Amino acid sequence: MSIINVTVANVEQVTPLVKHFTLVKEDGSLFPAFSGGSHIVVAMNINGRVHRNPYSLMGSPEETGAYHISVRKQEKSRGGSVFMHEQIKVGSKLQITYPVNLFALEKRARKNLLIAGGIGITPFMSQIEDLNRTGAAYEMHYAYRSPEHGAFSDELSAKCGDKFKCYVESDGDTLDFKALLSKQPLGTHVYVCGPHPMVVALIETARELGWPENNIHSEQFSAPPSGDAFKLKLSKSNLEIVVPSEMSMLEAIEAAGVDAPYLCRGGACGRCELEVLCTDGPLIHNDHYLTDAEKAAGKKIMPCVSRAKCDLLELNI
Amino acid sequence: MERGYWIRSKPVYSALLWQQKATAHLVMVEGSAGGLAAIKLFQQMQPLQPTTVIYVKDKVSDADYSVALRKIVPDDLLVFETKDEAMIALQKYLPNALMGLRIYVAGSERFMWSIAQIAGEYGIDDADIYKELTGTLARSVYCVHCKTITHEAHTNIKKCCGCGKMLFVRDHFSRLMGAYMGLMVDAESPGVLPEIEEIYP
Repeated sequence: MSIINVTVANVEQVTPLVKHFTLVKEDGSLFPAFSGGSHIVVAMNINGRVHRNPYSLMGSPEETGAYHISVRKQEKSRGGSVFMHEQIKVGSKLQITYPVNLFALEKRARKNLLIAGGIGITPFMSQIEDLNRTGAAYEMHYAYRSPEHGAFSDELSAKCGDKFKCYVESDGDTLDFKALLSKQPLGTHVYVCGPHPMVVALIETARELGWPENNIHSEQFSAPPSGDAFKLKLSKSNLEIVVPSEMSMLEAIEAAGVDAPYLCRGGACGRCELEVLCTDGPLIHNDHYLTDAEKAAGKKIMPCVSRAKCDLLELNI
Repeated sequence: MERGYWIRSKPVYSALLWQQKATAHLVMVEGSAGGLAAIKLFQQMQPLQPTTVIYVKDKVSDADYSVALRKIVPDDLLVFETKDEAMIALQKYLPNALMGLRIYVAGSERFMWSIAQIAGEYGIDDADIYKELTGTLARSVYCVHCKTITHEAHTNIKKCCGCGKMLFVRDHFSRLMGAYMGLMVDAESPGVLPEIEEIYP
């Protein structure tokens, strides 16, 4: 996968938990253009081990002199977000992938309903640039815990005007999905990004109200959950490796020097799918990609977020 | 036709079934066969949500299901003599409709895809319109030479009403135009035509 070498040009503390990083190319040239909703994967070398985390691109897709990402410091960080917060300073070097968009706006939508929870606001920052440029109809609904956690709230208010509505939980404001989704004109598409329970609740509400699947869009980057260590046999590479409890299968495969495909690293896109040849214990599927039937069949696994409760798992790579 | 031959773009239609998750329903049917499809749908159940039926009466058949439908949906039945009037009614209905509306249609392909084109202007994907083919298998044919669409093709070969070329009616279907692709059949040997058969009765 192609890599872009970048330098951190600016770091800004946006909220007590969120930092905003401005990245420029090391060679000073322009970045590739991207579309609203795209993300990049940032590679970080933490004590000799490479962590790769996906982050949404936030700036205007038309300004390719710099890329902008925001990182929320996770309470249960596996290292990546803490590293970004504590180690990355102006002048730090990082490697990033080319942008990929798994959360694109539907251009034929008559109206776009954007719903963010907390740090889930990031992909909408670039989408709003696209929507303002094309003049498409939209509403931005942003829910967060308390006033100090409303990252980019002022900026959004200025950019979206009366299309922006925020819901501050500590003030008792709640975003009523059912009420909101019940009054949308035909041809509306809904986009949601935020904590897992919020995304699930929104999708379920939309389905209950008869929204077609094609009109419901979501993005959530799950961090790979930890679990028991197990052995992995890579049949094509003829290797046996151990997946430690704090590492994902994909990371362990990469650490062993095997080139495995990936795009989102969050269980969303399906690019890293591998064939399960044999296992002596149950698979633990943590992705949002495979259908329930596929998960039950146990022939496929997403190594970016899933693992197994077994001694030995054999994959066809 | 070759066994197992299948064109991906050719639409597949099935019997109408209520979508239980909905906030409103719109049923549009054409002709006596379409009317019967609507009654069949209501025999599955009477939906809980508000339901509107638009019925275009058959010009040739005696069977008129408007009386039967009136009993089922007394206040929400619109009956028209022509397809064009029904399309105008649809254009009046859609601007105020909300997400959660489910659309069901039964009739000829021409009828169903006319609805899909109008609904498309309101951002509705044709895949989200439930379609049951009734009454006729007649095809609309898009001439790749002069771009004219000729309706009511019942035969494997149909004369283009635009340029007069004899068109072979293919299975390749355009959802945008609601028509099958038609290509000049005797381009290589003018005047030499395969046997013309009725295959879309």
